[in-house]
Amino acid sequence: MNVEIIFPPLEAGLAALLEYLSAHVLTCLIPAFFIAGAITALLKKDTVLKYFGADANKCVCYSIAATSGTVLAVCSCTILPMFAGIHRKGAGIGPAASFLFSGPAINVLAVLLTARVLGLDLGAARVAAAVSMAVVIGLVMAFIFERGGVSQKSAPQAPLIGADDENGRPSYISPIFLALLVGILLGATSGFAWQIKTSLVSALILVSAWMLKTYFLEEERSDFIGESWWLARKIFPLLLIGTFVTGVIGYFLPVDLIKQVFGTSNFAACFVAAMTGALLYMPTLLEVPIVGTLFGYTSGVMAPGPALSLLLAGPSMSLPNMIVIWRIIGAKKAGVYILLVVILSTLMGMIYGVVA
Amino acid sequence: MVKIEVLGTGCAKCKSLAKNVDKAVEELGTDAEVIKVDSLQDIMNRGVMMIPALYIDGKEIAVGRTLSVAEIKSLLDKSTTSD
Repeated sequence: MNVEIIFPPLEAGLAALLEYLSAHVLTCLIPAFFIAGAITALLKKDTVLKYFGADANKCVCYSIAATSGTVLAVCSCTILPMFAGIHRKGAGIGPAASFLFSGPAINVLAVLLTARVLGLDLGAARVAAAVSMAVVIGLVMAFIFERGGVSQKSAPQAPLIGADDENGRPSYISPIFLALLVGILLGATSGFAWQIKTSLVSALILVSAWMLKTYFLEEERSDFIGESWWLARKIFPLLLIGTFVTGVIGYFLPVDLIKQVFGTSNFAACFVAAMTGALLYMPTLLEVPIVGTLFGYTSGVMAPGPALSLLLAGPSMSLPNMIVIWRIIGAKKAGVYILLVVILSTLMGMIYGVVA
Repeated sequence: MVKIEVLGTGCAKCKSLAKNVDKAVEELGTDAEVIKVDSLQDIMNRGVMMIPALYIDGKEIAVGRTLSVAEIKSLLDKSTTSD
């Protein structure tokens, strides 16, 4: 077998892989896994959960539905019962749909990696577009399917800032701890001189460790570490392998073809990107190398518009997810939902293409 | 006999919890009835918001996350000795 056709694609794969194993990416990913672990293990969800059943103000309901995915869970299937619950017993199909879309779209790990590897502007655009899309999708779904008025199911109203939670710990402790973790990430990824960076990050780590020891129970501490490690163990190897594969495939994909299809931010490019995202199954975080390396956003081959469209439609839609949703809300509603995601992702991409 | 319920629909985390529960029960030799609830309808009807979820003797132990074999074993120890 001709050696010349084996090595170049493998080199391309390796090059892509090394980009993701760099200090640049790791200083973002490692703190990010801890943040995700803290969200799963330490953040009390009751406050947010109680808002979904109440006959709350529509505005509040939709904005919470569109953003709470970030603080509720990192794995998208974790919140499926909640989605079903909101739909059947709580606020209805509108907020349920907002909630369903936004969760994976503004996944904490994915957004952080997007900002780090593909640029802060695309990362910020992803969040802004995803949240707005979530609200619009929800409103449209509610309009189409709940003409008879939103069902008023009442549930106990929860105060926004709760009193001490069950462990006798003031409820502001967890958010502060989370903020410290975010601070560590920002410090580690900042552009300061390395002496400042290391002292800043070390100081923040010490304070967080102290908080962990003082305010959290031993089992909460092990939950936190356990969750962070579980996420890293499940996601990181897949990310590396996926990145390597995208590098290899990218070697074979003709750049001219990609440029032709995705080179501008017009309707066709964004639409194809949105469809690709909707159909292609993307494991968590892999949308980043797919956009950056495979379709060449990082090297300027893919335009910002289609890049955003893919980032919006990709994570929220996957075949297994769609099948479960189909079973929960039925073919008609699921069909409309999918259509809305594709159309709005295309639109958001086009708008961003003009603005970027 | 201890009644252990594992609520989950079959995603990686849910399977992980189920596997760890089985292992913990086997290693401890506890007299336990392990029930796997995987219908989303049933899970929802119990008011459980996130999966995987673990219930021991009808009491909610963990919601929305998985537990290690060691953690489950210590929980089972506690629940059997406190009777």
